[in-house]
Amino acid sequence: MNFFLSYVILAEIFAIMALSTNFLVGVIGIFSVSQAALMGVGAYAYAVAAMAGLPFPVALLLALVLCAILNVLTSLPSLRLAGDYFVVTSFGIQLVATAVFINWSDVTGGVSGIAGIPAPSFFGVSTEEPRNFIVVTTLALIAAATGYALLMRSSYGRVLHAIRLDELAVVAAGRNVLRLKLGISAVSGAYAGLGGALYAIFLSFIDPSSFEIHVSVLILTMLVVGGARTLSGSIIGPFILLSIPQFMALVSLPPTMVGPARSLAYGVLLVAFMLLRPQGIAGRRL
Amino acid sequence: MPTCFTRLAAGAVSLLAIGLSGTASAQEIVIGAVLPLTGPAAPTGIEEQTGVQFAVDGINAAGGIRGRKVKVIYEDSQGKPDQGVLAFNRLVDLHSTPAIVTAFSSISLAMAPLATRKKVFVVNPAAQTNKLATASPYLVNTIPLVADEVAVMTKYAVAKLGKKAAIIYENAAAGIDARDDFKKAFVAAGGEILADEAVEFGQTNFRPTLLKVAAAKPDFVFIGITVGAPTMADQVAQVPGFPIAIGTTFNRPFSGFASTAGWFHTGIKSGIAPEAEAEFNNQFGTKEMGFFAREYANATQIIFKIIDSLIAKNIPVTGENIRTALFEIKNFDSPTAKIVFDSNTARREIEVLKLVPPGREVVETGTN
Amino acid sequence: MLLLQLLVDGAVSGCAVGVVAITFAYVYATTGVFHVAHAGLFTLGGYIAWWLSGQGLPFPLALMGAVAVGAAVGAVMQKAIYETLMKRRASPLVQLIASLGLLAILQNLVALLFTPNMLQFEAVSWRLSMLDIGPIHLSLPQIWTLASSLAILAGLVLFSTRTILGKRIRAVSSNRALAEITRLRPFDVYVVVVAIASGLVAVPSVFIGVDQAMQPYTSVLVLLTAVIAVIAGGIGSLPGAFIISVVLAVLQNLVLALMPGRWSIAFTFMLFIVFILIKPTGLFQTRLKRAS
Repeated sequence: MNFFLSYVILAEIFAIMALSTNFLVGVIGIFSVSQAALMGVGAYAYAVAAMAGLPFPVALLLALVLCAILNVLTSLPSLRLAGDYFVVTSFGIQLVATAVFINWSDVTGGVSGIAGIPAPSFFGVSTEEPRNFIVVTTLALIAAATGYALLMRSSYGRVLHAIRLDELAVVAAGRNVLRLKLGISAVSGAYAGLGGALYAIFLSFIDPSSFEIHVSVLILTMLVVGGARTLSGSIIGPFILLSIPQFMALVSLPPTMVGPARSLAYGVLLVAFMLLRPQGIAGRRL
Repeated sequence: MPTCFTRLAAGAVSLLAIGLSGTASAQEIVIGAVLPLTGPAAPTGIEEQTGVQFAVDGINAAGGIRGRKVKVIYEDSQGKPDQGVLAFNRLVDLHSTPAIVTAFSSISLAMAPLATRKKVFVVNPAAQTNKLATASPYLVNTIPLVADEVAVMTKYAVAKLGKKAAIIYENAAAGIDARDDFKKAFVAAGGEILADEAVEFGQTNFRPTLLKVAAAKPDFVFIGITVGAPTMADQVAQVPGFPIAIGTTFNRPFSGFASTAGWFHTGIKSGIAPEAEAEFNNQFGTKEMGFFAREYANATQIIFKIIDSLIAKNIPVTGENIRTALFEIKNFDSPTAKIVFDSNTARREIEVLKLVPPGREVVETGTN
Repeated sequence: MLLLQLLVDGAVSGCAVGVVAITFAYVYATTGVFHVAHAGLFTLGGYIAWWLSGQGLPFPLALMGAVAVGAAVGAVMQKAIYETLMKRRASPLVQLIASLGLLAILQNLVALLFTPNMLQFEAVSWRLSMLDIGPIHLSLPQIWTLASSLAILAGLVLFSTRTILGKRIRAVSSNRALAEITRLRPFDVYVVVVAIASGLVAVPSVFIGVDQAMQPYTSVLVLLTAVIAVIAGGIGSLPGAFIISVVLAVLQNLVLALMPGRWSIAFTFMLFIVFILIKPTGLFQTRLKRAS
């Protein structure tokens, strides 16, 4: 049943990524198509640290902290601006990150990537097998989801929602909006770092192509289909989107038509959701 | 558009074939193929698919392997390692495929640990990154790797072309490997690298790179790209004084242009019986059976040959047994190539070819 | 000499990017949609002309066919998708995501119909002809790219400032609510604008296709460079966007002479991020126009 397990594991990892995106896109309304870049930083940080022999908790912490810091730094320019300018800044960050993954080959292994990333063992049990690793990803998702829910219910979370609805009012109420936004960027970054580290462990191999722009777009699509700004939406979306190729694999199509037809289906899905149900399956109005 | 319709028709025919053979499923042998059928690498992936399909149709037309029909399940890796891993798990869990044909270095490398874990026989017919040599005991390469080819080419270049070189390479695994191997071998032989330029995978405007390289005035240029050769050849014609270029198998598509006359590249000796090629062209509506189609057909036939030997001896067709039998049989001669497996990477003849329009001439033959 | 040739080659590519930039800006400034599907229309144009010329149509007719198909597809897109979303007051984010979906549809439809292979205009006999202007070598398609792009720039600026329809478009883009009251029928205007932009963007697509080659998935990078130029040039200024496109492409080419080519894309975007920090309003516009 590894086929089913690997589907669930990847969906859980992407659910963490969708939550990371949700903080920005859903909660404070910052558009982002550079989540995959951050995920990549987390994955590479974990891989390099783990390959150097650092224990699992240290390597994971390193990935989380690095991503949090980087997300704050890269968000700074966009936080000073509004509207669609983000899209481009975000696109830029994504492309630069990919160029760095490819060309900083002393650290990242360049296009050949890093192979043989070790999976941690807990209480003498290796998580190399999907049936063991799924415990790790499930616990991680539960922790991430709990964190998201608690944060949204706190007074801090309510102020964040207020920023999206009326930024000026929040400023008028004497709150430091920039600091609030930077705070949530750090949290979003740490989530992405967690997702990236888990991804690196699961595949035992990473390379720049796993963190390209289309992955960022896929994460965004997952969030949108599931429904932005809700916890359940971030979890439903990845499970649905990752199941599409699995189902299409069960249907016999003429071989040369399989690929473009599936990508076409993604496109149709995106347009259809925006036209018919822009709030996604479980979400609220975008 | 005729090609599109032919492709559609060919697809429909093979679909029908799969549907028909599905009735005899108890005896059926199922293998998998994980290929990039979408995304920027799709042109290669689709050619590879025709090769696999050709081999499968051929063996089924001949009554299957000792009476057992063969079915191949294609999975689209989209050129991405994570999709490759998922596809691998799907094939192994849903269809228990003992053997999987793969494509592209990064995807093959990502599958390698799983192949070891699950004891699935993985055949790589075309990816050449050097790491593939030792990635997994269950991963075999039916083609020599980049370093093997570059060694043969560099030796020839140092002796005949000069000691000052420039490099143009594709910023992807095969291109980077080629650059690194060439640099190492060439500098060790006393050569000097004057320029070292990357182009992106799928890029179509090579002019700035070509201009910069020509301006460095090297004795020759080492080119390592896997797509876009005809476009680059056109643009080379537009750069006055562009030097002679050398490269590996991937430079095969540079043949047939006035601007590339006198260039050299190594080739993995890869032939095809004329009647087989005619049949292939008839089936897929192509003008020739390309390199990837041949290699994938041949690699698939190697799998069939091993399975045949297992069935003959009444040994179960598992990944482990296929692997063992591969090294027992060791020699796989076919119209495509003489292939010897001493290690996980095939030993084959490597030729140095000179482009003489409209074709090419063999100027030297070596081996890895 | 290398520098001069690189400069000229960069300027030619820059002009093609410039047309993508001004047509994108025209749509964006008028409708407010961050129209990433524009890259899909760019892809479509080249392939339509390739197919028509392969059917034996003379090149000028193939080019016109591509423009017509582009305009029609663009108009349908606006009418069927964007207009529905606008009337429902969908957020810019929703429109952007719908546009991403349209981009995926267009690119994969092209891949499905014409194969994802790299295609060359074999049927166009003059595609490899060269011209020497002093020490500069240019291909005939490059010269056509240059000439057609400049003509489109001039034409679009004149159309926008001198014709009644052009003025009506500008009126609608500056204030949609007011336009609605004064019966300028903004939604009809949007259809016209997207059709014009989608038709025009086919022109550089065809000439670049003739000059180099085409692939269904490469247009996204062209659009990104164009969008950067639009923002750096200041939204609303067509010549500004065009000039920055040329500057960006020239810089990308010249940087190549100084450092390894693999960093040139990173260099462009780094430059952009620095630029956005220092002068977020763009070079040619002083007012920051926020997306609605």
